[in-house]
Amino acid sequence: MNRRKFLTVMGSAGVASALGAATTDADAASHTYPYYEDSYGVLHDTTRCIGCRRCEKACQQVNNLPMPEKPFEDLSVTATRRRTSAYAWTVVNKYKVGDVEIFRKLQCLHCNDPACASACFAKCFQKMPDGTVHYEGSQCVGCRYCMVACPFYVPGFQYDEAWDPLVQKCTFCQPRTQKGQLPGCVEACPMDALTFGKRKDLIAIAKKRIAENPDKYVNYIYGEHDAGGTAWLTLSGVKPDKLGMDTHLGNSPMGELTYGALGAVPMIIGFWPVVFGGVYGVSKAKDAYYKREKEKAAKAAMEAALKKVEETQGADAAAKVREALAQAQEHGCSCKHGEDA
Amino acid sequence: MRNGKTLLRWMVVMVVVAVASTGFVLTSQEAQAAGQALEPTESGAPSAMVLFPVTEKANPAKAAMRPVVFNHLVHEKKISDCETCHHTGDPTSCASCHTVEGKAEGNFITLERAMHAENIAKRANGKTPSSCVSCHNENLKRRECAGCHAIVTPKRDEAYCAACHNVTPKMTDEEMQQGMQGKLASDEALATETVLGKKPVNRIAPQAIPYKVQIDGLKDDYEGCSFTHARHVASLMKRMENDKLADAFHSSPETLCQACHHRSPLSATPPKCSSCHKAAIDPAHPERPNLKAAYHLQCMGCHNAMKVARPQNQDCTTCHKERAK
Repeated sequence: MNRRKFLTVMGSAGVASALGAATTDADAASHTYPYYEDSYGVLHDTTRCIGCRRCEKACQQVNNLPMPEKPFEDLSVTATRRRTSAYAWTVVNKYKVGDVEIFRKLQCLHCNDPACASACFAKCFQKMPDGTVHYEGSQCVGCRYCMVACPFYVPGFQYDEAWDPLVQKCTFCQPRTQKGQLPGCVEACPMDALTFGKRKDLIAIAKKRIAENPDKYVNYIYGEHDAGGTAWLTLSGVKPDKLGMDTHLGNSPMGELTYGALGAVPMIIGFWPVVFGGVYGVSKAKDAYYKREKEKAAKAAMEAALKKVEETQGADAAAKVREALAQAQEHGCSCKHGEDA
Repeated sequence: MRNGKTLLRWMVVMVVVAVASTGFVLTSQEAQAAGQALEPTESGAPSAMVLFPVTEKANPAKAAMRPVVFNHLVHEKKISDCETCHHTGDPTSCASCHTVEGKAEGNFITLERAMHAENIAKRANGKTPSSCVSCHNENLKRRECAGCHAIVTPKRDEAYCAACHNVTPKMTDEEMQQGMQGKLASDEALATETVLGKKPVNRIAPQAIPYKVQIDGLKDDYEGCSFTHARHVASLMKRMENDKLADAFHSSPETLCQACHHRSPLSATPPKCSSCHKAAIDPAHPERPNLKAAYHLQCMGCHNAMKVARPQNQDCTTCHKERAK
């Protein structure tokens, strides 16, 4: 087996085992988090939203976030496609569809099986039974893999913090909901464009609204299945992609794309050193064996030659040759390659 | 009746009622006696006709919907192109192809579908047929209708069906049976009787409703709102004037009230919004908007649908002044 052949075999073995792990994961639909039946969510009805930015203001107030340069009463900012950041956990953007202006709120969607959690090797993100995707930054190393992983581009990073920058995003107002209060934005909405409740109830409410007003809504609850389902759901009167919602995320959690490959990592770490170590040992032993055999053969040839000398020219000549050989060996070892004797 | 004024008022009312009812009986009788005819149509079609649930099967149990009296005259005046309804181009009766069971000639589209289908798929040749309901729904998108009809969906109850399924109660079982078999000699008498017997629905009197309503149960960042109730009602009524469709379906004086005062029985003194909508959302009814949202959804829903340019949805202080802090 030459080197190339060996690497080909080992490479395919590795891919095969990784694929094997991936298929079993998908078959068993194994997620990093189970689906919490009684988890909470929020239904955002974009047909009701008037883009008043009260939710943004309330978010800033209840979470003690710094007030932005332009006041919340300035509604012109909704025209730009703003993103969430470490200091703005929710934004409302305006989308023009035909002549109609439609507003959509964006914040962490609190996925059922979050991609951020699947990407975080410090286990900072956790899906809680109440529906929150909770971030706990004490172990955060600031790698920002979560920001890359999030299909909704939500987590923000404290780039201005020199010492302990953290990732920041909507907390689903967990401190408030635990006290029995509504999330700040939901409470502030003057249009009930945000409805807080159990996720399963919200889906029922959304379906009822669609059934009762088939002309008003498109028959699609964004987040019911997208990216494996999210706690925050969005209803709209136009196709979701017109409001900047990505409809190509598929219906399985984003993490499922990587669980298989990443799940093979421990296997590779454990398995490959043993295999390669073994291969290395075998090839070393083989070299040593050849060397020994070679020396043995050389010695036997030498002995045979000496024996011939002894037979033809007498014992004295043989003794002289032996002496010369011993000297040459000694001398040969003492001088380096290429030097004259 | 402690004072003479009230007594006098009552007497006047009774006299008026007596005269009116005699007049009504007389006109009705006269119509019957003289065989009073309806205004003739331009097209030469009968002015009104009875649409029986025509069936090819024997129906001894008489299990059939009450026939519709179709006022051809009124509809003809509204629509320029006969093919809007007579979609084959042949001005024949609907039931010649669309029967209760459906026939091959009518592509097995039943009479019920032909009359009630909504959201009819657009045809490639541009000749999309319309049903009674789909055409009426299109009409609800007119600015003057869209306001109320964007925020309320009329209940599909008996009264709603009876707006069209309205043949006179004087129709005999025998006439019904003959009509269903398509063997009734003439439906003219029944149709005329129904159309002439239809009493106009009075609008609710401006004096019967509050002039202004103070909406001030929820004062926080803003003061309450002095809602010009009568002005809003009058404005809606003005837009509905001489609208035959509204006349036909707004079957009681209080129907108009139901746009805002929805989901409670018809009444000129409906319950307050806060009877159902609470300041904080009710966990038992998470689908029910809270009071603030209920106001905003009703007001803005109607204004948006009627394309009312001012106030803008975000101009809070147009309706309620900012509260001094």
